[in-house]
Order: sequence, then C-alpha cells, then structure tokens
Amino acid sequence: MSSEPTKRRRVARHWHRWLGLFAAVPLLWLSVTGLLLNHIVDLGLNDKRVSAEWILKRYHQLPEGKPVAFKANERLVAGWDGALYLDGKFLEGFEGELVGAVGVKDKLVIATKESVGVFDGSDAMEIELDELSLPALPLQGVAVAENVLLVKSDSGWSSFSDDFLLFEEWNDSAEAVTFNLLNDEELDDLKSAITSSRSMPLDRVIGDAHSGKLFGWPGWLITDLTALGAIILTILGLRLFPKRKS
Amino acid sequence: MKPITLELATASKKLCFFFMTAFLLCGGSAFSATRVYQKPSDFVKSALGALPPTQALKLTAAQQNAVSRLLGKRYKTTTIRYWTRNGKTAYILEEIGKVEYITTGISVKGGRIEGMRVLVYRETHGMEVARTAFTKQFNGVSVKSDSQLSRNPRNIAGATLSVRALTKLARLALYLESLR
Repeated sequence: MSSEPTKRRRVARHWHRWLGLFAAVPLLWLSVTGLLLNHIVDLGLNDKRVSAEWILKRYHQLPEGKPVAFKANERLVAGWDGALYLDGKFLEGFEGELVGAVGVKDKLVIATKESVGVFDGSDAMEIELDELSLPALPLQGVAVAENVLLVKSDSGWSSFSDDFLLFEEWNDSAEAVTFNLLNDEELDDLKSAITSSRSMPLDRVIGDAHSGKLFGWPGWLITDLTALGAIILTILGLRLFPKRKS
Repeated sequence: MKPITLELATASKKLCFFFMTAFLLCGGSAFSATRVYQKPSDFVKSALGALPPTQALKLTAAQQNAVSRLLGKRYKTTTIRYWTRNGKTAYILEEIGKVEYITTGISVKGGRIEGMRVLVYRETHGMEVARTAFTKQFNGVSVKSDSQLSRNPRNIAGATLSVRALTKLARLALYLESLR
C-alpha cells in the first residue's frame, strides 16, 4: 500500500498531465498572439488589414438580410444591415436604416431614420444633418418637390432651405420615394463590391484573437479557463518539483 | 467500483468535449460597443444655455487642405455646423479613434476651449477618454502659432489613438473658430 505523500504526488502528477494536455493548444495560441501583439510595430503588422470573409462576418462588416435600394441621380444607394453603400462603395461614417435617396439639384440626398447626408458630385459628404437639424425623428420618408428637399416625420412633411440648414412645415401633398427591388445580378454585384471594399486592421484582429473576443463568449471562456489552468499547472508543478525521497 | 483516476479522466474528457463543442458551434460576438453619453442637442443646450439656430461653415479648398493637415486626412464633411450664443460657440465634431467615429461636443469662447464632452463612443477599447477627468484637461486650451495646442493632454495607456483623435478635434474646433 502506498504512503500518503506518494499518493498525493500521484494525484498531482495525474492532474498536471491532463490539465497540461488540455491547456497546451490554448496556451500556445495565447503565447503566439501575445508575442505578435508585443512586436506588432517591429513586425510591420500595425498597418496591415485583413479581408477574410469569416473575419469580416465576426466584426459584422458583411451585411445580413436583404438590402433596400433607391436609384437617384442615376446612382444606386443601398442600405443593408445598417450600413450604406453608394454604387456598392461603403459610405464610411454615415450609417443607419435607409429611408430614401433623392436628387436635389446637383446634390444626392440620402436619408436614414436618424440622419440625412448631402453628397456633392464627387461623392464627398457635404453636410450631415442629425437630430439638431431635423424636424423630428425617426424620419419616415423623403421626397423632392419644386427642387426642394422634403422629409417626412411624425410631425408631417417639412421642406428644407437650399443650404439644408433651415426647415419649415410643408402643407402641400408629397409622396415619398419608394425603394427598388434589386435583381439577382445587381444583388451579386453589390455583394462582391461590398466584400472587396471592407477590411479590418490586423492588429485589432490579433488583439481580439488574444483576448478570445474574436470567437465570442466561448473564446472568452476558453481564455479564462486557460489562465486558470496555467495557475493550477504552476501550483501543481511546484508541488511536484521536490525530489522524491529514495 | 471504478478507480478514482479513471473517473477523473472521464470527467476531464467530457468537460473538454463540452467546451470544444461550444467553441466550434457558438457564433457569439462582442464587437458592438456604442455608448451614447449625451445627445448632441443636449450638449449644445447645456453648453450655450439654449438651442440657437444652426449655422454652418462651408470650407473652401484651401481650408479643407488646412483641416486635412490637422487631422492627417479629410474631415468627413465639407460643411461643418456650429451653434453660437453669447459669444460662445458649440461644435459637434467626429473623428475616427481606431476604426470607429468618436462624436464629440466642444464649446469655444474667446479662442479657448471652454468644455469638451465625448457624446458617442463606438470603439471597443479606449473609452477612458470619455471620462470628465480626461476631457477637462482641454478646458482653457488655445492654439499656438504652430497649430499645436497650448497644452497637450496626458496620454492614457491603451487609449492612445482615442486621445490623439480628441486632441485633433480640439485643434480642429479652434481652427474653425478662427475662420468664423
């Protein structure tokens, strides 16, 4: 029959062995991503970007569901899963649920439920109007009458001045522009344009891979368990360290 | 009766199988981190005491170039709105921290920043810049002849890019004030 210290050593060795096995891959993962993070500038990874589809999906950079599209000033304005696209090009810094798009003189006006963006001929956003410059939110529709921008909200239709800074109640009738359904070919073109135009900074992806966030809550859990495992492995290793008495 | 080591090994295997399955099957994500600290209209009201009519600065090509030099890239719009009352002006400005825009309210009086507030923070990291303890460092700051701030804020470890973004916005607000 084995003595008590021998039995304790055997149990400790058993746990050390199995815990080491399970923690090996996550510990390697943490070590490699940690090293990359620490030397991200030296390795020149800080200005690299990744556009792998699964990574873009993890960061919600690829839209889900069906797009809503409007044609205005011979341009295709699409709203898809909260992001906005002009002829398939992502509109950075302007997002929301698309309500409509109209051409007002030489400007393209894109309205979401929360804001209105006015774009000039070179696709630069001239001005963005938010709750500070709109009659009421959410916006329900957009239209043009007599070369004037009209927006519809709970308070009815409002017309805007030429510089879009002032608005007043519009008492005449108006009809909001309606969206166009895209055919399969247009939808495929839009999808490929969106995928090719999106990417994520590599250093952020590595950072999120290190913390486990890249993989959602299971990633967090595995990172936490690995950290706990490393602590337990250290304790068990220290207990096993003294030489066995002969 | 099974030996205790065998039971432990079986339990470990089951536990491992559960976590690996959860890891592979689950599609959870945690990348949406938008925090709204204050509505822009509430900021303008609190900074100016009321909500005056909207005014706007339409930047010329030369002014857009000057703004690009301040920010390191073009500002998102070519016309910038502002609100003014009793000699004080409020701007709502946006700049990218790392990948997302930070919406910031800045009030300026007599060529000096009177108050700054982060209104909407969309990044997953660096939200420490939204704390009043950080933003109050900009109070009383003006711009020197070389377009630099008279006093730079202290950096925050882990929020370097957000600190830089707010510093750029402070310089932009003071530049816009000089154009009015």
